Amino acid sequence: MSESDILRQLSAAVEELDLSGVVPRVQAALDGGLAPAKVLTQGLSAGMREVGKKFNSGEMFMPEVLVACDVYFAGLAVVRPLLRADKDDHVLGTVIMGNIHGDVHTVGKQVAMPVFEASGLRVIDLGEDLTDEAFVEGIRKHHPQIVGLGTYMTSTFMHTKATVEAITKAGLRERVKIICGGPAVDAEAARRMGADDASDDAWKGVEKIRRLLGVE
Amino acid sequence: MSQIVDEWVGRLKGKLPPIGEMTHWERLAGAMDLKQTDYVPVAPELDYWQITYAGYSHREIYHDVDKTTDACIKTWADLRLDAIWMYVDISHQIENFIPAERRAEHFIHRGEKDYLMFKPIARTLDEAIEMYETRAFEKHLDGSRPVTHYTPHMLQLLEFQERMDRQVPIIVGIATPTNYAETIVEVQNFQRWMVTEPEKTQHYLNLCLQERLEALEFYRQFAAGNGGTFCCLFGGARTWGPKHLARFAGVDRVFAEKATQIFPYVFWHHCGRNLPRALELIRDLPGVKGIQYDMPYYGQDLSWPQWFEQVARLLGGKQCAMNSPTTQLACHGRPAEVRRMVREFIDATIPHTTACVMPGCEVDSFSPLENVKAMIEAGRACRLT
Repeated sequence: MSESDILRQLSAAVEELDLSGVVPRVQAALDGGLAPAKVLTQGLSAGMREVGKKFNSGEMFMPEVLVACDVYFAGLAVVRPLLRADKDDHVLGTVIMGNIHGDVHTVGKQVAMPVFEASGLRVIDLGEDLTDEAFVEGIRKHHPQIVGLGTYMTSTFMHTKATVEAITKAGLRERVKIICGGPAVDAEAARRMGADDASDDAWKGVEKIRRLLGVE
Repeated sequence: MSQIVDEWVGRLKGKLPPIGEMTHWERLAGAMDLKQTDYVPVAPELDYWQITYAGYSHREIYHDVDKTTDACIKTWADLRLDAIWMYVDISHQIENFIPAERRAEHFIHRGEKDYLMFKPIARTLDEAIEMYETRAFEKHLDGSRPVTHYTPHMLQLLEFQERMDRQVPIIVGIATPTNYAETIVEVQNFQRWMVTEPEKTQHYLNLCLQERLEALEFYRQFAAGNGGTFCCLFGGARTWGPKHLARFAGVDRVFAEKATQIFPYVFWHHCGRNLPRALELIRDLPGVKGIQYDMPYYGQDLSWPQWFEQVARLLGGKQCAMNSPTTQLACHGRPAEVRRMVREFIDATIPHTTACVMPGCEVDSFSPLENVKAMIEAGRACRLT
C-alpha cells in the first residue's frame, strides 16, 4: 500500500468513526516506517479537518463529531509519545484552556481540543470550574501564546472580565492572547471584557487563533 | 391558601391599569391560537433574573419557597409581562433521582447571581439504565426538592393566577424525555452513545419516556387540576442530526401527545443551535401551539432577520413563533440594540404567523434591567389592532 493510501486510511478512520480500528491502523502506519508527524498531520488531523467541513456543511452533526474526536484522540495517544522526539511536529503555538469559574460543561472543550491539536496547536487542558488563579498559574507554568476560556452559559461568560483582570494584575496579559469559546460567547462582548476574541465554533476558533498568532 | 399570595392579591387585584384591550392571558392565548391580538405578547423566561431583580440572592431562595414566589409576582407586578414563568432550577427537576446524602455533591452554588451548578448522576449508560429500572426517582422522592420546593411554588403561582381571575397566565415548565436522558448522563456522553450503542440508548430513552409519562399524571392532577393551562415543554435533542432525530426523537412525540391532552396551551422550548429539521418535527406535533426557538444551526450563515423569516415561514399557519432578543444580547447588548432586534423579529414574523417576544432561553441574571425594559417596550410599541 502506498504512503498516500495509508494516510487516506487514517483520515478515513476519523471520518468514518472507526473507534476500534484507528489504533491498529496508526500502529501499522508507524510500523511501516511513516514519520509520526506525518501520521498525525496528514492522517488523523486531515480526518478532523474533513469532519469540520462536513459539520459546517450539515453532513455531520454533533453526535458524530464527538465520536470523531474520540477516534482522533485514540490515534493521537499512540503517536504523541513519539512526537516528542520528532523534530517535525510543526507546532504553531501552545494553548492552555479550561472552563471558567462556575462552569463544568465540557462538551465544547471536548470538540475544541482535538480540533486545535489537529490544527497544529499544542493544547493543555487545565480542567473545569477553574479559579482565576488557576489560569494565572497555568500561564506561568506552561508559557502559552493563547489562553482559551471555555464557557457554556451566558452567566459564566460574564466571569471573563474577572479572569482577564487577574491575568493582567499578575503582569501576564501582554504575554498571551485570550480567546473565549462556547455556545454563549459573543466576540464584541468578549473584547469589552478584555479578551481578544471569541468563537462558538471550534474550526472558526482555529482561524481566529491563527490570526491572533499572526500566522494567517 | 398561601400568605404570600394573599398579600399580593390584596395589593394588586382590581388596582392594575389595563394594557391595551386584552388581558395578559388573552394576549398570549390569542397569539398561540394564531389570532390577532392588540399587541405582540411579551413573555420572557426570566428564571434567575427575576430572583435578582426582586432583591434576593439565589442562595437565599434555594430553601425558601415564599421568597421564590414573591420574586416572580413582584417582577410581574412591576413589569406587567404577559405571563409569569415558574421559577425552575435543575434541582427541582431531578433531585429525586439522588439519595439524600449525596445531593450536596451534585448541586453547587457558585455565586449569588450564578446558575446552580449540576454534576451528572450517572457516568455510564448501564448506570443510567439501572437507575431507571430500579425506579430510583421514586425511592428518593421523599424530602426532595421536586416535593419540597417545585410543587409548593407551582401551587402558589397557580393560586395567584386563579385568584387574579386569570389576568395573567402561569407557565408551567416540564422537561421532555430526551432532555432528561441527556441531562442525567451529560449531553456529550448521551450523544456519543447514540452513535456507539444505539440499541441500548433506545432502551434508556424508553425508560426515560416511561418516567416522564408517569410524571405527566402528577401534572394532570396538581397543575392542570389547579388551573394550569399554559405549559412549556423543555425539549432535548438540540444538536442532533436528522438521522438521530428520525431514530430517537419519537419518545418526545409520545410525550407531547399526552402533554397536549392535559394542557390547552403547550409550546416547545428548543434552545441552542436549531436545525430546521428539528423545528419541522416540532411544528408537526399536534396540539403544540408555539416554538420558543434559538439560533440557527452551525454552518447556516444567516442574519437574524433572515433566520426569523425562515422560521416564521416554517411555522406559518401552524404555530406561534417565540423569540428575541437573544439571551446574549439581553445580557451584553445595549437597550437600543435590544429594541432593534425585537422589532426585526416582529417585522420578519408577523407576515407569516403570530409572534411572541420571548428570548430563546432564560434571561441571564446579569442582564441589565434597562435591557429587559427595552425588550418589553419594543413589544408594547408594536400595536397590531
